Amino acid sequence: MAQSTAHRRLLQEYKSLTNNPPDGITAGPVSEDDLLHWEALIEGPEETPFEGGIFPAELKFPKDYPLSPPTMKFTGWIFHPNVYKNGSVCISILHPPGEDPNHYEHASERWSPIQSVEKILISVMSMLAEPNDESPANIDAAKMWRERRDEYNDMVRQGVLKMLGL
Amino acid sequence: MDSDEDFMSNLSSDEDLIQDDSDNVMEDLSGAEDFDDFDDFDEEDDSDEDIGLQKDIMSKKKYSNEISFTVHRPEDIQKQQDDMINEVNMILELRKEDAAILLRHFRWDNQRLLETYMEDPNRVLEAAGLGANVVGPPKLEAIPGFVCDICCEDKYGLQSFAIKCGHRYCVDCYRHYLTQKIKEEGEAARIQCPADGCPRIIDARSLDLLVTSDLRDRYRELLNRTYVEDRDQLKWCPAPDCINAVHCGVKKKDLSRIVPIVECTCKHRFCFGCILADHQPTPCELVKLWLKKCADDSETANWISAHTKECPKCNSTIEKNGGCNHMTCRKCRHEFCWMCMGLWSEHGTSWYNCNRYEEKSGTEARDAQAKSRKSLERYLHYYNRYANHEQSARLDKDIFQKTQKKMVNLQSASGMSWIEVQYLNAASQCLQTCRQTLKWTYAFAFYLARNNRTEIFEDNQKDLEMAVEALSEMFEKPVTELAHSKLKVDILDKTAYCNKRRIILLDDTAEGLANGLWEFQVEIGNNGQTSRQ
Repeated sequence: MAQSTAHRRLLQEYKSLTNNPPDGITAGPVSEDDLLHWEALIEGPEETPFEGGIFPAELKFPKDYPLSPPTMKFTGWIFHPNVYKNGSVCISILHPPGEDPNHYEHASERWSPIQSVEKILISVMSMLAEPNDESPANIDAAKMWRERRDEYNDMVRQGVLKMLGL
Repeated sequence: MDSDEDFMSNLSSDEDLIQDDSDNVMEDLSGAEDFDDFDDFDEEDDSDEDIGLQKDIMSKKKYSNEISFTVHRPEDIQKQQDDMINEVNMILELRKEDAAILLRHFRWDNQRLLETYMEDPNRVLEAAGLGANVVGPPKLEAIPGFVCDICCEDKYGLQSFAIKCGHRYCVDCYRHYLTQKIKEEGEAARIQCPADGCPRIIDARSLDLLVTSDLRDRYRELLNRTYVEDRDQLKWCPAPDCINAVHCGVKKKDLSRIVPIVECTCKHRFCFGCILADHQPTPCELVKLWLKKCADDSETANWISAHTKECPKCNSTIEKNGGCNHMTCRKCRHEFCWMCMGLWSEHGTSWYNCNRYEEKSGTEARDAQAKSRKSLERYLHYYNRYANHEQSARLDKDIFQKTQKKMVNLQSASGMSWIEVQYLNAASQCLQTCRQTLKWTYAFAFYLARNNRTEIFEDNQKDLEMAVEALSEMFEKPVTELAHSKLKVDILDKTAYCNKRRIILLDDTAEGLANGLWEFQVEIGNNGQTSRQ
């Protein structure tokens, strides 16, 4: 076998993402030599304070992909209840099945081999629009989002403008 | 007695004898029903020979504290499921594995299943995760040009599998998925097709085809577990390493009127309502309250209010640890009298001697104090007695071992035969059961309101307690004294008396509970039979 399962599968996914890219999402390996390291760009969803922004992120795949999920990290500025301050994304689809360390996610919401990079990116995009403040990764952001929504929206808009160099 | 078999069956009959008599009645009932009859009849034949007379009298009357139940072994549980599956299989002409999935979907309520199915079979099949389309037996297939969606493998002759829905994956990925579900997530009854959002349930026959035998065993075990958990009338015996389940018809809503104590064939006695060990006569709800009260620190707070006072000015908590009554609060420098809590300045010249009666400033503080002290004392009265019996219960194992040793010593010292010293074993068992009951009578009494019924209850409790203590004392006598036949007769009598007193007490309390005659200080049940003081 010349290629491992992970390579074969990632190549397949890359192909379908390039041929049929979903709206507002671009993703692919950083270089053809290392298929386990991807880069993605996500557009801020419309009618949210993230609108107009382009958010770069990196995806790292484990060797046993698709049995285990990849990890995802925003590399630029982001202020969101479900993103840690270092940029790591906390979302149920990225959590492996089995024992749930947080004890609130259903097995069906978590990672399984039939999920895909495309589904992850779409989930993250909808997460930007609708944060889940039940299990915040960034407590400050969650508190602000919950209690002072206007201030949160302003802060995100400012961040987006700054990122765009305006 | 000429064979080992006889020897063993006598052992079991003796065990019957030493348990309280209620068991005999219950075993009659369970023997009359379908399971375990072989063992039960064996035991009963023998015990009839030994204690036939006593048993006849006892089994005539059914006491209020007794309920009927049956113990099911794993084979029985499997058989019940198979029977129901076969029935549905025959009536509806479905495959057996599909019938099983339907039954699980309806939580083994076959009447409801049949009725709903007759109305609209397709809807029922859909809801249970079965498609309407019929396919042949599950098989692995190698389809030319097939690419597995999970691993993207496409080599020629790749074995693949799909259930009715047609979501096809290669054998390795399917197997991995099932292993994950069974081993890590402990799922069995509702494993869905791996495809995202596909609700089809994987049946037992397909599973058998795909996984290894150890996983298959685990799968069956999990299925049995869901079967017992799905049925309200079945519960696992909570004893360590016990694999039996108990069937009992007592409903959840009746728990305020009945204490459903059942006994597994492993000898463990437990409450069918809350799975805790035997807690007759106290109903589950009061048990929960009591255990919570004992566990949390509400009593610490009570102790603080009984043993300390608060500075009348700044409310700091102060414990007086000696010295005179002239207190000066360390925090706010307020000066007051420890006795009357009044201002020290009002004491005038009568320093160090508070003989003033009922000054306004002190009365209120003292009243609150007295009340909380009384409540603490009341609680401690019951708790100490409860804890004492619990302590004794903890020494059960110790006592049991000591008894065994004593019986051996007694045989060699007095020349008595094995069967002649069994009365000690009976006494030891009786002590344990009675102490367990006594322990819970104190939790029960703590919540009782004062009235005539309570007086009668306390008399019963006193009788049993005195008898138990007397038996306990006799039981601890040295071997030389135990050899006297008079003491043996005394112990036998006392044992019988204790068992009888215990039954009387439990019968009386259970009857009162069933008819809502007890008045508690807290509200239990939904029917509002009790009042708050």
